[in-house]
Amino acid sequence: MWGLRSTRTLVIAAATVVFVVCCVLPLASMLAGTFSGRTSVGSTYAALLLDPRQRRLLFNTALLGIMTATFATVIGAPLGVALARLELRGKAILRVLLAAPMLLPPVVVGLAWISLGGDTGLLTQLAGRDLLSTWTHTMSGAVLVLTLVLYPVSMLATEVAVRRIEPRLEEAALIVARPGRVVWHITLGLAAPSITAAALVIFVLAASDFGVPGLLRVRVYTTEVFTAFAALYDFGRGAVLTLPLLVISTLVAAAAVALAGERLITTRRAMSGRHPPLFDPWKPAAVAAASAMVLLALVLPLAALVREVQGVRSWAEVVAGSGIAIRNSLVLAAVGATLTVAVGLGLGYARARARGTVGIIADLACVVLFAVPSTVVGVGLIGLWNRPGVLGTVYGTDAMLVLVCLARFLPLAVLGLAAAVRHVPYSHEEAAAAAGAGWARTISTIVVPQMSASLVAVWVVVFVLAFGELGASILVAPPGEATLPIRIYTMIANAPPANVAALALLQSVVILSPLTLLAWGLTLREAR
Amino acid sequence: MTSSYLRLTGITKRYRDRVAVEDVSVDIAGGEGIVVLGPSGCGKTTLLRLIAGLARPDSGEIWLAGQLASGAATFVPPYERQLGFVFQDLALWPHLSVGKNLDFVMKAAKAPKAERRARAEKILSLVQIEQLSNRYPHELSGGEQQRVALARALVGEPRLLLLDEPLSSLDADLRAMLRLELRQLQRALRLTTIYVTHDREDAAVLADRVVEMRRGRIIAVDQAKPQEPS
Repeated sequence: MWGLRSTRTLVIAAATVVFVVCCVLPLASMLAGTFSGRTSVGSTYAALLLDPRQRRLLFNTALLGIMTATFATVIGAPLGVALARLELRGKAILRVLLAAPMLLPPVVVGLAWISLGGDTGLLTQLAGRDLLSTWTHTMSGAVLVLTLVLYPVSMLATEVAVRRIEPRLEEAALIVARPGRVVWHITLGLAAPSITAAALVIFVLAASDFGVPGLLRVRVYTTEVFTAFAALYDFGRGAVLTLPLLVISTLVAAAAVALAGERLITTRRAMSGRHPPLFDPWKPAAVAAASAMVLLALVLPLAALVREVQGVRSWAEVVAGSGIAIRNSLVLAAVGATLTVAVGLGLGYARARARGTVGIIADLACVVLFAVPSTVVGVGLIGLWNRPGVLGTVYGTDAMLVLVCLARFLPLAVLGLAAAVRHVPYSHEEAAAAAGAGWARTISTIVVPQMSASLVAVWVVVFVLAFGELGASILVAPPGEATLPIRIYTMIANAPPANVAALALLQSVVILSPLTLLAWGLTLREAR
Repeated sequence: MTSSYLRLTGITKRYRDRVAVEDVSVDIAGGEGIVVLGPSGCGKTTLLRLIAGLARPDSGEIWLAGQLASGAATFVPPYERQLGFVFQDLALWPHLSVGKNLDFVMKAAKAPKAERRARAEKILSLVQIEQLSNRYPHELSGGEQQRVALARALVGEPRLLLLDEPLSSLDADLRAMLRLELRQLQRALRLTTIYVTHDREDAAVLADRVVEMRRGRIIAVDQAKPQEPS
């Protein structure tokens, strides 16, 4: 099956070419561009990076990442432990509700935050006095919004890590130590690498975010890169400014991979027995904390948008004015998600069956590329495709937005699908091969049917992320062909807040609909 | 030997509609080496977990050193029973070195730092792995891991040592050697020991008495034929 001309080799080679073209070449060409064709590259870097204003940018970016990672971990990790180890009624739906903020575009949550904490916001109305308006457009506000969006990353990583702890290890400790000591030294000790890796990923995602700092007027590298393009039309300056971001993201993502190791794509393993009830005394506190987070991170932002939307004079006008953007977003996200899953399946299969160094390098590449900030991806895509010739014919078309989807989310899809393939024992493929089936037939009739739920889940996640993508899309979108997030972002400055909130709410509904269906399905399954 | 160090009276444990242990009663004297023998699924591991306090009996009583440990209205948690437990899969904590595996046990017992170091050295020397203190479990061979698990169980100076088929994953030669060492240790320390196995050779070497189980019940309690370590 592994011959040079075998179907498997051809499929994986083709998928690898797509991966390299979409995810690697844009960055490589951008980096090559910044180091060549300039007479004074060194002085350009020195001028840009040693300037006190740039150091301030670096400080702000690091602060945003560190504070968000800290708060998101402090909130997310205990919730993850609770989901992993407490018997809770309706746990499946609670998990979906707690994870939902992660899929809402950060800029939408940022808008909700403004409409919640502004001087005429919901909190001001409820409290009868202005509580937060001076705090809304600050670094603290950006940290709060990104914490609310990113804590599920820590929660889900911790849940997986704590679930995977062998019950015997805790029982062995319980023989000699009290539950509190067992939790601290054994349970959390064993989960610590995953929790730390998740914190590092959150750091990268927060430092890479463009929408929230842009909206709340916090100056960080991503907003500076955008300004270099959108306001100054200076590709060289923008490209150079991406370098510190790229270096930080790469180093932190590599550290996360080193900590997570094989856990990155291992979903489950056989456990001997049940976990001891170490956490039961904390059940009431956990239920209260989980309910508070659903309220704070999901219900309150949506309620603030709903309240703001009441000022809309005509829904028909709002929707009609953004009809093309809505259609573009839906179609392009669906096409992008489908292509991403198709390519990701080939690469995910290759990763799942790879061992040793090859596997580690593949994981590292995927995590580092997923961690590349959206604005950096946008700059890279412009550098690669905005040139005369065949490539130039693609630039200026909607295909660029599909390429954004592939460039940003293919690495994530590869990791998700690799985990799903890993769950199908290799012996199943060997049995099919022994029965005379070729690789394509084995994949379509043996492997894919066993991972169909994961395929759907990855498609939905990529669709949702692509539907909310802003940082790269706003740089490469053809003139007049905006997507919904771009339309919302550009309307903020010059449209009534009610109309902006209406579109943000619409975007949230589209994103949360599949999640609601998923929660409903899980509830039915739990009831059975 | 002193009389009745551990007493089980009418112990029954069900998991849903399956009876794991049914009406088990047995008296074990201080310093005695008991081997619980039986096929897989006969309830011997469950019995060990009930004695350790890792599971609660549905009915019956467990008395430890004259004190009620499990009863209708009483349940002493495992960490207050002063036990050592060697699990079938050893359950060495993979994120802690050998020394730290032992230290966790002694810190939990609030032993002073100087005493902890001395005790760890003594126990590691007793099981002949004093050079492995800084190694992690995954860096050890199967036999070394076995010795670490035993050291960890002994370092807390338990009143009762429970062993759940700890030699089952080893090859025959190593298994034979370790069970002899285990027997010598048990005798040297005069430790009350309950050893669960399905292997009659283990029983012949390790037991003062053999308790045979089938389908959750004790079917025989025999005085083992004395077999001195060769």
